[in-house]
Amino acid sequence: MRRLHIHNFLLAFVVSVTLFLPVPAQKLSSNNAHSSPPKLTLPVKDGSVRFAVIGDTGSGTTKQKDVGDMMVKYRALFPFEFVLMMGDNLYGGEDPKDFEKKFSEPYKPLLDNKVKFYATLGNHDLPIQVNYENFNMNGKEYYRFKKGNVAFYSLNSNYMDKKQVKWLEDELAKDTSEWKICFFHHPPYSSAKKHGSDDQLREVVEPIFLKYGVNVVLTGHDHVYERIKPQKGIYYFVSGAGGKLRSGDISETSQLTEKSYDRDLHFMLFEVAGNQMYFQAISRTGETIDSGMIARKRS
Amino acid sequence: MQGQALRYFLCISVFVAVANAGFAQQSQNDKAAIQMFEKQVSEYVDLRNKVRANAPKLSKDSTPEQIHAYRTALEESMRNARAGAKRGELFRPETADYIRRTLKTEFQGKDRRELREQVFETETQGVVLRVNYPYAESAELSEMPATLLAKLPQLPKEVRYRFVGRNMLLVDRESNVIIDYMPDALP
Repeated sequence: MRRLHIHNFLLAFVVSVTLFLPVPAQKLSSNNAHSSPPKLTLPVKDGSVRFAVIGDTGSGTTKQKDVGDMMVKYRALFPFEFVLMMGDNLYGGEDPKDFEKKFSEPYKPLLDNKVKFYATLGNHDLPIQVNYENFNMNGKEYYRFKKGNVAFYSLNSNYMDKKQVKWLEDELAKDTSEWKICFFHHPPYSSAKKHGSDDQLREVVEPIFLKYGVNVVLTGHDHVYERIKPQKGIYYFVSGAGGKLRSGDISETSQLTEKSYDRDLHFMLFEVAGNQMYFQAISRTGETIDSGMIARKRS
Repeated sequence: MQGQALRYFLCISVFVAVANAGFAQQSQNDKAAIQMFEKQVSEYVDLRNKVRANAPKLSKDSTPEQIHAYRTALEESMRNARAGAKRGELFRPETADYIRRTLKTEFQGKDRRELREQVFETETQGVVLRVNYPYAESAELSEMPATLLAKLPQLPKEVRYRFVGRNMLLVDRESNVIIDYMPDALP
């Protein structure tokens, strides 16, 4: 009788413990439960410049990893060569374990396949990140690089001092690239309620963009996706939900929005082929949330 | 009649001269304050660069471990090198006064409102204002608007301005250590 009691007690204990054991993190991911098969809208033309965009990523959450995994799935269809990061690359601490958890781990398959990441600094990033090998910033807070007919300018919108403004003007003035893309953290235009448009930054950078024919501006900061209606001929995107989401943050009354999404994390794909730039925004679970083509205005 | 006109003329001349002298004097004071501030920042950078020469090297393609080691070494070495540093040594009263006046004059109405909104939305909980100690790593960094930076004394690349509430900080760009701070900078 006593032995039976002990047996029952042990059985109850094992059942209780099993029921309350935490489910492994990967199983909690809704990616496994609800993900859609990749569906590419980009043309994948020969010789095109192909890249991905992620912003506000460094949370180290399972959902950030979901986005990384979905990028890998899409890369099988669309072999992008590099990734632009819109800042807030590491939230919270910046110890070696943070770099691992918030960057190296979520994008390990991409890093293993030699996909290069080009970062910009957000308001949660210490400037010393410019020295991190996998952010390819070459020790600089603002820098330029070129791929095919596209020039990319990474700017530090946290600290747009006179030196940086002059550098940007000087570089753009001599740039003969067909496409000029600027990327940085704070959005000059945004319909998100939390931060919204950065008017003070816009006052300084927009005249330069217009003067020197910048075609596209990519930003983050607001944890949503938004494609802004072209402003004075320039296409602005907010892609700030690669690792953090501010659900329901897009103002429904905004006159700026062409297309927006604030229900889940996302990333973007871009393809530049001659005078056309194709884009596709994809949710964490693989759904296409926006896509289209931008034709370059001939100067 | 002629004498009265002469008296008026002299009176006006004296007023204009005194007024001009006043402005010139004030401007000279501001210039001196800025020069002193820039000199002290420059001295800080010299000291930092000496200390830095003995810290582990940091390349443009460092690992997280190398970055951490460099940052920690620089922070500790600078704390020792500046032992006893106190608030107000770089933001001396005359410099702080110039900065406060500049921000008050240059940012009015809508501009001031926007600047304050931008600064106050920054989540800086956990930041302890203490000279020679790091700005909390977990806290947000305030965006320093381009329009504001254009009005402030220019800094070398090793040093940054930053806001925590209405306080303005001088921070080392690499070690993230607070070099100095001044209260009530933001109008």
